[in-house]
Amino acid sequence: MLIAALAITLAACGGGGSSSGGGSADGGSSDQGGSSDSGSDEQIVLRVAWWGGQDRHDATLKVIEMYEEQNPHVKIEPEFSSYDGYWERMAAQAAGNNLPDVMNQNFGEYLTQYTERGLLADLTPFIEDGTIDTTYIDDSIIDSGKMGDKLVAISLGTNARAVLYDPELFERAGAKMPELGWTWDDVAEAGKLISQVTSWGINPLESRRTAEVWLREHGGRLFNDDGTGLGYDDDKIMEDYFAMHLDWLEQGIIAPLDVAKQHNSTENSLIVHGEVGMMFTWSNGVIGHSLAAQRPLELAPYPGPNHEKGLYLKPSMYFSIPESSDKKEEAAKFINFFINDIEANKILNADRGVPVNSQVLEAMKETVDEATRKTFEYIELITPHTSPIDKNHPATAAEVLSILEEVDEKVLYKQITPAEAAKEFRQRAEEVLNR
Amino acid sequence: MGNTKLRISKRAIQNISGYLFILPFLIGFFWLTVFPIGMSFYLSFTRYDLLGSPEWVGFSNYIRMFTNDEKFIQALKVTFFYAFTAVPFRLVFALLVALLLARVVRGSGFYRTALYLPSIIGGSVAVAVMWRQLFGNNGAINGILSSLGLPTRSWLGDPDTAIWTLILLFGWQFGSSMLIFLAGLKNIPQEFYEAASVDGANAWYRFTRITIPLLTPVILFNLVMQLINGFLAFTPSFIITEGGPLNSTLLYALYLYQRGFVFFDMGYASAMAWILLLIIAFFTAFIFGSSKYWVHYESGGGR
Repeated sequence: MLIAALAITLAACGGGGSSSGGGSADGGSSDQGGSSDSGSDEQIVLRVAWWGGQDRHDATLKVIEMYEEQNPHVKIEPEFSSYDGYWERMAAQAAGNNLPDVMNQNFGEYLTQYTERGLLADLTPFIEDGTIDTTYIDDSIIDSGKMGDKLVAISLGTNARAVLYDPELFERAGAKMPELGWTWDDVAEAGKLISQVTSWGINPLESRRTAEVWLREHGGRLFNDDGTGLGYDDDKIMEDYFAMHLDWLEQGIIAPLDVAKQHNSTENSLIVHGEVGMMFTWSNGVIGHSLAAQRPLELAPYPGPNHEKGLYLKPSMYFSIPESSDKKEEAAKFINFFINDIEANKILNADRGVPVNSQVLEAMKETVDEATRKTFEYIELITPHTSPIDKNHPATAAEVLSILEEVDEKVLYKQITPAEAAKEFRQRAEEVLNR
Repeated sequence: MGNTKLRISKRAIQNISGYLFILPFLIGFFWLTVFPIGMSFYLSFTRYDLLGSPEWVGFSNYIRMFTNDEKFIQALKVTFFYAFTAVPFRLVFALLVALLLARVVRGSGFYRTALYLPSIIGGSVAVAVMWRQLFGNNGAINGILSSLGLPTRSWLGDPDTAIWTLILLFGWQFGSSMLIFLAGLKNIPQEFYEAASVDGANAWYRFTRITIPLLTPVILFNLVMQLINGFLAFTPSFIITEGGPLNSTLLYALYLYQRGFVFFDMGYASAMAWILLLIIAFFTAFIFGSSKYWVHYESGGGR
C-alpha cells in the first residue's frame, strides 16, 4: 500500500519539468569536491533496482527518501522484487534496452553475463573524479568489481565463507575451540568428539562452495582464466576432497545428506536444533541462525593448511550502472551516498553484508546487534589472511556447480568412488564449459 | 435492395458486437498462448541465454538432447515411470471412491466436497511442503511406523522410495477424476442392474459387464486428461525433493525449468518443451486410436 502510494507520488513528481531551483546535488556527510554539478538544477528521475526481502525493501526505501530530501532535484523510482523475479525482470529490460540507472548485480555468472554483453558502464572515471569516494574502501574490495580492465560494479557489502559453530557443544564435547589457522584434521577431530555428545559433528560441507576453497588451498582454482575449463590439472585434489567428505560421513562426523536436505531452512537447520556443532556457510549466516537458535553461535575461519590461499572476501552484491543509462553521473552520486553515508548505512543495518567503508563500519559497531557485530569482527579478523576472489566464473558456472553437487552426492550415496567422481566432474564440467 | 443492405449491415454489427464480447479472450489467446507457442518454437532452434539475442543453431539442441545429455534421458525415464504408475493409481483410486460414494445416501454432498478438497489444494506449494513433513525422517509416517514397532526409513532420502512419495501425492489428488466418475455412474440406468439381478448376476458380474462398459467414455476422458497432467507434473518434485536424491525424482518439467532458468539455456529448454508436446500428442493419439476397440458409446450408432 505504502509502496504503491510512494510509487504514484514519485511518478507524479517525476513528470514535472520545472526546475527545482537552487538545490545543490551534493548531499549528506559524504559530499565530495570535484564532481561537476552541471544540469543539477534540472529535475531528474533516477531508476534504482534491487532484490531482497521485505526488511531490505523497507530500509532501502527509507534511505531513498533520505537521499531525495538532501537532493531535491532527484526523484528516485524504486524497482524491487525477490531474487528470482529480479533477474527475469532485468533480462526483459535488457532486451528492451531499458535497464534502470542503478542496478543490483551479483557476483559470478550474472556479472560475467552482463559484462560480456557490454551492458555495464565502466565506473573508473567516477572513481577518478571523486564522484564515488573510495578513500575508506579497501582496494581489494574495489578490485572485486573489476572485470578485465573495467570497473563495472561497486560492492555493497562483504561476505566470506566461514565455519559457524556452537561453542556450547564444543565445550561439552571437550573439543579444541576453532581458531585462525586450524586444519581439516582439527575439524574432523572436533567433529568426531561433538558427534559423541549429539547426533553428528558437522552439517554436510556445501561442496559447491567448500570445494572451491579446498582447490585454492591446494594450488588450484575452480575455473581457468577465461572460464573455458577447470582451473586445476591434478584430479587427485578433488579426489581427496570427495574422499574426505565420504570418510566423514562414514565416521558419523557429518550428517547424512538426506537428513541435511530436510533441514535446509535456517529456522529448521541442524545447528539451530543442536544436532550438529558446525556448519560451513557464509559469514552472515551467523545472524539468522543465532536468532533462530536463541543462543550465541560463533564464526571461525575455514581450516587450512594454506587457509590464506583459500580464504577470500566476497562482495555479497553490487550496484552497477548500465551502459544504457543517460544519467550515469547522478547514478554514481547515488551509489556514493549509498556506500559512504553513515546515517544511511545505519538504516540499512548491514543487511547487504559488512559495510565496505571502514569509517561506516566503525560507526556502526555500536548500533548493530551482537550477531551482526560478529560478522564485522570476523571480516576484520580474516581480511589480512585472504587472497583475492576468483572472478573468472563463466556464464555456465551455475551448471558446473550443480554438476559438482551431483557428483558429490553420488559419492556420499556410494554410487561411485572418489576417484571416479573427480574424473566424472572434470569430464562433465569441461563438456559444459566448451559448449 | 435497400432492405438487403440493411440486413447485411445489421449482421455485420451483430458480428462485430460478438467479436467485441470475446475480445478479452482473443487478446489473451493470441498474446498469452499463440505468440509464446510460436516464440518457443523459434527459440528451440536457437541458443538463448535470456539476456542477449537468440542465436540460430539449427537442430543442435534436439541432437544434443538425444545424443549427449544423460540427465535428459534420466528425466525421460523418471517421467515415464511416474506417469505410467501414478495415472493408473489415481484413476483406480478415484473409481473405487466414486463407487463407494454412489451408494452413500446421507451426507453425500459433504463427502463429495471433503474428498474433492485435496484436488483443489493439490497443486499448491503448501501441500508439497506438508508432504515433505509427512514423509520426512521425523515425519508422521515414520512416527506411525515406529509406534507400531515397524522399521522406519528415509522415504525422501532413498532413491528407491522418493519417487513413490510423489506418486502417492498424485494419487491422493483424485478428486476431479472421482467427481467425473461419479457423474458417469449416476448416468447408468438403474434398470440394467435390476434386470441383471433378476437374471442372477452377482456383484462382480454386474460391475464388469455393466458398470465398466458403460463407464468407458468417462474412463477415456479421465485417462487422457490425467496422462497429460502426469507428464506435466512439476510442483511435487520441485518442492518436495528438488529432483533428488541422485536425480531419482527429476521430472521432465523440473529439468526443463532448470535448463531454462537456472542454467540460462532457454533454447534447449524450448526444444525440450516441444519434445514433451510430441510425447504427449503421441500417447493421446494412441489412446484415442485404441478407443474404438474398448470404448462403448450407448448412442454411438454402429460400434
